[in-house]
Amino acid sequence: MSFSGGDLVEQELGLTQDEPPRDPATPAAGYASKSPTQIAFERLRKDPIAVLCFVVVVLFVLVAIGAPLWCHLLGVSTDTVQASTRVDLVTGLPKIGPPDHGFDASHPFGVAPGSGNDNLAFWIYGCRTSLFLAFMATVATTIIGVGLGLLAGFAGGMVDAVIAFFTDLFLTFPFLVAALAMSPILQDRFGTNTSLYNKLSFWTLVVILVIFGWMGMTRLIRGEVLSLREREFVKAARVMGVPTHKILLREILPNLIAPIVVSISLGLPAFVAAEAGLSYLGIGVQGQPSWGQTINSATKYWQTYPLFLWEPVIGITVLVVALNLLGDAIRDAFDPKTRR
Amino acid sequence: MKRKKALVAAASVAALTLGLAACGGSSNDGKSDKPSKTFSEGASSANDKDPTAKGPAPDVEGAKTGGEITVLAPDPDSGPDNLDPDALWSVTNNSIAQDLLFRSLTTFRRDASTGQYVLVPDLATDLGTPNADFTEWKFTLKDGIKWENGDPVTADEIAFGIKRSFDSDSFPTGPGTSYSNPYFLGGKKYTGPYSGGQDFPAVTVSGNDIILKMAKPFPEMDYYGIFPAMGPVPLDAKVPDYGLKPLSTGPYKIEKYTPNQELVLVKNDQWDPNSDPARHQYADKYTFKFDVDPSVADQTVLSDSTDGATTLVTSMLAQDYTSAIQGGKDAKTDVGSSPCTAMSMPNYQKIPQLEVRQALAFAYPYEDAWAAAGELPGVTLANGVTDPDLGFGILPPGMAGRQPWNPEIDGETIQYDPEHAKELLAKAGFKPGEFEAAWVYDSSTPEGKAAMEQVKLAYQKSGFDPHPYPYGAGSLYDVWTDPDNPLYKKINILGTAWCQDWPSAATFLPVIVGTGSPYNTGGFSEPSIDAEIERIQTQVPIDEQADAWGALEQKVMTDFMPVINRGYINTIAGIGSGIGGFANDTSVGGAPNYRDIFVK
Repeated sequence: MSFSGGDLVEQELGLTQDEPPRDPATPAAGYASKSPTQIAFERLRKDPIAVLCFVVVVLFVLVAIGAPLWCHLLGVSTDTVQASTRVDLVTGLPKIGPPDHGFDASHPFGVAPGSGNDNLAFWIYGCRTSLFLAFMATVATTIIGVGLGLLAGFAGGMVDAVIAFFTDLFLTFPFLVAALAMSPILQDRFGTNTSLYNKLSFWTLVVILVIFGWMGMTRLIRGEVLSLREREFVKAARVMGVPTHKILLREILPNLIAPIVVSISLGLPAFVAAEAGLSYLGIGVQGQPSWGQTINSATKYWQTYPLFLWEPVIGITVLVVALNLLGDAIRDAFDPKTRR
Repeated sequence: MKRKKALVAAASVAALTLGLAACGGSSNDGKSDKPSKTFSEGASSANDKDPTAKGPAPDVEGAKTGGEITVLAPDPDSGPDNLDPDALWSVTNNSIAQDLLFRSLTTFRRDASTGQYVLVPDLATDLGTPNADFTEWKFTLKDGIKWENGDPVTADEIAFGIKRSFDSDSFPTGPGTSYSNPYFLGGKKYTGPYSGGQDFPAVTVSGNDIILKMAKPFPEMDYYGIFPAMGPVPLDAKVPDYGLKPLSTGPYKIEKYTPNQELVLVKNDQWDPNSDPARHQYADKYTFKFDVDPSVADQTVLSDSTDGATTLVTSMLAQDYTSAIQGGKDAKTDVGSSPCTAMSMPNYQKIPQLEVRQALAFAYPYEDAWAAAGELPGVTLANGVTDPDLGFGILPPGMAGRQPWNPEIDGETIQYDPEHAKELLAKAGFKPGEFEAAWVYDSSTPEGKAAMEQVKLAYQKSGFDPHPYPYGAGSLYDVWTDPDNPLYKKINILGTAWCQDWPSAATFLPVIVGTGSPYNTGGFSEPSIDAEIERIQTQVPIDEQADAWGALEQKVMTDFMPVINRGYINTIAGIGSGIGGFANDTSVGGAPNYRDIFVK
């Protein structure tokens, strides 16, 4: 059902500044058929920064997914060892590796002061925690945000008013206060069941990040839908009696790919940073390694053992910068106004 | 006297930033007070008294007047939430109040030549006159003592202050609950002047004399006189308002007080140095800040900034201590003993087998847990593991009558020894992995978690089935002292960190092993021990009591082992380069001795 051929041509010729509705099924004669998404990917491939950042992100993802494998290959583990086997009891600093001794191949990142934990294993598993949590939170905020945005924008009226009210309500509620309040509540309620509590601490963090993360996406999508639903191809579909859910999913959603992708790519790094921040405050993930927790314990050793702090900080910084730059590049690539 | 830092200490298994060292364990603390010298072992505490001391206090060598001193108390030490004299019962709060603000019947003075703390008269003309069996004490108020507003302090006001200490509803964590109510005649029933009326025959006034009557012999009433609760309170003082704006009798008065945050003290011109044998008034101003970020506090002192030079930190992080030593700044630190013991207490009902409690002592990874908790073994925490002479007893080193308790249990002295722990468990009839060891740990800090991991590993290797439960919502005492807490029902190993109130085992053993004491968190209860406590308090002559307490400690540890020593505690103070006259005050539980410090 193609009513949008004309728009596609316009776009390919650069005649319109507006974001085009389209249906890639019908190629227009004389032009290579390219959807806006395809065009965007083509631009991304030519952008060196985007490619570099993509590689970096992929590397982090590989580290996270294959964490047990890497630890096995490198011969490190997160298991507790008796502290005195690795730590000098007089100073609390490691007996092997940095800061006082040379590189030790059995602990490439050194060991933690005090506890003697292997830094590399904790770094790898911390990466896994950070990325998995950010990924889950992003997926959930996207689904909720897009769903509510479509509903609010298309249905209008009462539904729109109610959703807009809750959007504003959650925007005004202070995120940090809620996160700080949840931690003791959970502990009080589930603290007697340690394994359940550890799992819950992870998923609650996801839920908190989602509860305070969906509003931006909802507003963005609602605005887009408001403009799209008055467009000819949508009106035509309605006239033809296409059911509403099909109009939403088949006609409107494909035109929202660009803002959604951009929003996801900018949301991921925010969640990675938020996880680290909350773990640093002691209200993050429990019972599994995370970068925020390592930073929390490492700040006190900054003067005597700076590398201990640098490792997770560099990890977070590189990952967040790469994700952000990639997000910027994706936004530029999808934005018809920045054609080069 | 409880200690917030030490609470965390015992809590997170070993501790945060408190700990004990000086007791000979470490090599780099040569300048610190050696607690074993502060209170020589076996000597009666009566030797450290000077009933004839008169004001003014002897000048401190090199002391100057003027300047302003800032004192930082790092998190989790949140300072006083209330400065009512009858509510004060913690190391930080009492050190400030006793040294600078409130005068009481007696007080401690630091003897510069020996470094010892000597009990001297304060508001009273002497150390009190007891009758033959110590059931009646008479103190006489000095003439000419004034409040900060110039009004004279009267004997009635002192009696009023003492009577208020019986009010355990208004001051549930005041020292009166441990000393006024149990010892004074009729003290168990009297509820203080607000609800119980002014008329209380155990505290009476005649002219300038205050007469105190006891229900049982209380030979240490003169020591109890150091508490601000044994001092004056204006007759029109209301609870709780007075705690926010109390009147001073000491060398300083309150200029500004924000509970748990800040306390600013300025000179009190009504204080007469000639009446005070212990305190000085060198600095113009004191600013106390509580709940300060520990790293920030340490860096302030270790830096050579102008502000840092006149700053004191009451308790330093071990990491910053290490870097200060490495950086050649040891002059800015002081490892001082706190007469405190961190203990774990197996629940006596859930772990009734002596062998299992002994096995726990061999299963505990002393130095590993301390290191993981950010402590320095042998410096901030120490016991028989770091120095066999310290032993594993209840009483801290230096206490009169104390004998180090370091026995052989089935042929082995206590240390981390998983194999011996398994043997003891087998003797009690448990296979490895069968007996559950459950405890709560402080999950709000990475150190608390790291220490928990060490203990878990060690318990596992020792044949226990370890179950650590996280608690991060507050102090672990919330769990340990609350039988209704769901975590309390799960755990079978609890704990306490306890400091002496004055150098006597009488402030220690009844609290730790007496039936029903709130800080006997394991619920240890043996009629024979209770009877012995009662016997020592009522029948043993005063000069034999110290040794009797020492013998009781040996007996209870050998026969029952109700507690497992997790280390004696030392505090590392940070001292700005412009501060002079610093000393660690063991008499109040290990805090700076504010009486004698000055700005160079």
